[in-house]
Amino acid sequence: MKLPERTDAVIVGAGAAGNLYAAVLAESGKSVLVLDPGPAWKSADLISSSIWSRRLRWGGPAIESTGRHAFGAGFNTGWGTGGAALHHYGTWPRLMPSDFTMKADFGKGLDWPISYDDLRPFYDRIQEEVGLSGDAEAEVWRPAGAPYPLPPLQQFAQARLLARGFHALDMKTAPSPMAILSQDYKGRPACLYDGWCDAGCPTGALANPLVTFHPRAVKAGARFLNGAHVTQLVPGKTARTAAGVEYIDSTGTRRTALADMVILAASTIANPAILLGSTGGDWSQGAGNSSGLVGRYFMTHSIASVYGFFDGEETENYMGVTGAQATNMDHYGKESLGGGAFGSLQWQLAPTMKPNDLLGVAMARADLFGPELTAFMDRAVHHLAVMFGFGEGLPLLENRVELSDRTGPGGVKTPRVVHTFAPESVKVSQSAAQLGLKIITAGGAAQPWAGPMATAHMMGGTIMGSEARTSVTDSFGRSHDIDNLIIAGPGLFPTAGAMNPNFTNHALALRGAEHAAARWLS
Amino acid sequence: MQIEQAFDGLAPNRRTLLKSAAFGLFAFKVAGADMLLSPAEARARRAALSKLSAEDAARLEAFGEALVPGARAAGLAHFVDANLARPHGESLLTVRYLDVLPPHHTFYKAGLAALDAASRAVLGGPFEGVSAAAARPLIAAMLPGTIAPWTGPPPALFYLAVRSDAADLVYGTRAAFARMQVPYMAHIEPATDW
Ligand SMILES: Cc1cc2nc3c(=O)[nH]c(=O)nc-3n(C[C@H](O)[C@H](O)[C@H](O)COP(=O)(O)OP(=O)(O)OC[C@H]3O[C@@H](n4cnc5c(N)ncnc54)[C@H](O)[C@@H]3O)c2cc1C
Ligand code: SF4
Repeated sequence: MKLPERTDAVIVGAGAAGNLYAAVLAESGKSVLVLDPGPAWKSADLISSSIWSRRLRWGGPAIESTGRHAFGAGFNTGWGTGGAALHHYGTWPRLMPSDFTMKADFGKGLDWPISYDDLRPFYDRIQEEVGLSGDAEAEVWRPAGAPYPLPPLQQFAQARLLARGFHALDMKTAPSPMAILSQDYKGRPACLYDGWCDAGCPTGALANPLVTFHPRAVKAGARFLNGAHVTQLVPGKTARTAAGVEYIDSTGTRRTALADMVILAASTIANPAILLGSTGGDWSQGAGNSSGLVGRYFMTHSIASVYGFFDGEETENYMGVTGAQATNMDHYGKESLGGGAFGSLQWQLAPTMKPNDLLGVAMARADLFGPELTAFMDRAVHHLAVMFGFGEGLPLLENRVELSDRTGPGGVKTPRVVHTFAPESVKVSQSAAQLGLKIITAGGAAQPWAGPMATAHMMGGTIMGSEARTSVTDSFGRSHDIDNLIIAGPGLFPTAGAMNPNFTNHALALRGAEHAAARWLS
Repeated sequence: MQIEQAFDGLAPNRRTLLKSAAFGLFAFKVAGADMLLSPAEARARRAALSKLSAEDAARLEAFGEALVPGARAAGLAHFVDANLARPHGESLLTVRYLDVLPPHHTFYKAGLAALDAASRAVLGGPFEGVSAAAARPLIAAMLPGTIAPWTGPPPALFYLAVRSDAADLVYGTRAAFARMQVPYMAHIEPATDW
């Protein structure tokens, strides 16, 4: 079987954004080729084991991570069909209107070139398409939008016990908005609450690309080529066009995929790395980089983890979903934490904990070892509860994806992520830990403690904006510099908010893909 | 220009893995013969190691056992060794999550050498020769990074990596779930341990 010599669109990356673009473009009649270096994962590969699930993470050339608050690249990146979204947890809150106007409102960070209202119809359509479960009314913080198509997921003891603390302090809780089915929906089955989402949900209850946009893309004729590591964009006839992309296939052979339109959807880290490594033709600073901002404003969320024991109760912490059972957003206001903290905070309560793994029970007290660890495990597997405070990281010019001195396939330089939180963002996480301890204590937990600050999610690096001087793309993800280049993914976000990014990622990708299909190359 | 179809390019590797690691088994050599064994079986049968020396393995077992009791018998050294022998993309080690640059066998070897040197300097003998009780203060100084002398990878990172490998084998198996009365509730059952 041969691949076509040339396609209307070549899409780099078969993850969340790549599959959505592939579906929309192929359904609009375009010929589409999707390249991804990782395996062609199938649902049947998603074996319920935390150990097995390591293979779903990035397996290509190593990503260096540095800075005072180095980003957890190995944990946060995916590879192969489905990308990180294959094993993501399906916690899908919308951004808030205030996330789009931070600079205008507070003189800090950046503004988006669009408002929440521009994105709202796309959020509404995506939630209908993939099936979101939640309780819009109980989420008193939620911005305007259609109610969820499905009722909330079931809650277990851990969530109920943690909610007690919030209620004791007059704080609200609501079921987390989840891209996981509480009821059968569009031929996919309801969740079974076994908490294996981190190993990938093979039943189709969780909206990973294998059950959402990938089948649509394949049905509409999009071709997927796995084992294809894209190294750079190939310059076109002028500096304002790309002829296609160069990639190294699974045999190590260098190849070119020519296309009228190039869509970079290879993740927040790989997109800027590919652009920076594309120095052919007139692109001496990298492709699409006249602003010098490719790779800049890389952002992540801080995580404050707060734990406590409920000794008299079975917390059922092994039941539920890996994401969260309930949420609180009382401190989403950028200045609401006070004490010099600036940025939003979102609580996620009661994720499932398996005994082992990075987010598992044994890691909750990494300082314990030997007989103390054994005793801790005996108690914790039935009585521990945890909640995570996701804190906003401000967009800072100096936080970046750059090229390292190491090389990967094709001799191309591999990415390095440099990240240090702004002092105000560190304070968000510190305040969250303090607040969390107060809450869990008010709920009656014994011996509460807060874990060290961690990082989750990746945004920025190819930010959108209204001016070519101060951003990399327009609001549809179109490069300001290269007419037939579109960038997709949370790398477009100019601010990170404190919300898990994948719902906004989908809403933006749908908006960008439909715009591209409707005005093809115009 | 013709572009060759390379669909499912990674399939051969993937299939091998489905046959072995997915079932909790790895390819080991025992007395010259290739066998698919669990790490615990590989240890019991004294299977050959490919990346770690016998000395490294003894040290790793002693360290892992001190961190997570039960790790030695569960075959920690063989588990780590078998994964180190795989391409990075197929490794099942937590070190993959910790942004340690490959090759990972140098990380383990350098960490074990640093631990041993610290043990000799502070406790007067090789790490695998001291009792778990005597080793406690040394181990406790790893996570805060105060262990001295230390010339190797960041001690906290090395501690976390080995502790997590050991926890995988001792707490991540179906037998361990059953022992702790935690329902496993697999969607797709791992055919043996995990
Ligand atoms: C453990 C985990 C849990 C998460 N949970 C949540 C959650 O609950 N809610 C939420 O909103 N978000 C969550 N996320 C984040 C979410 O998964 C991402 O925001 C989303 O997947 C980003 O989409 P993307 O298309 O940009 O990247 P991905 O989905 O990661 O896809 C990128 C693809 O590009 C490919 N690629 C990389 N380099 C190249 C190259 N050189 N050439 C070709 N292809 C390449 C990769 O192999 C990958 O398949 C989670 C992420 C992780 C890792
Ligand atoms: S808990 Fe639900 S969403 Fe998670 S893996 Fe199981 S069925 Fe899928």
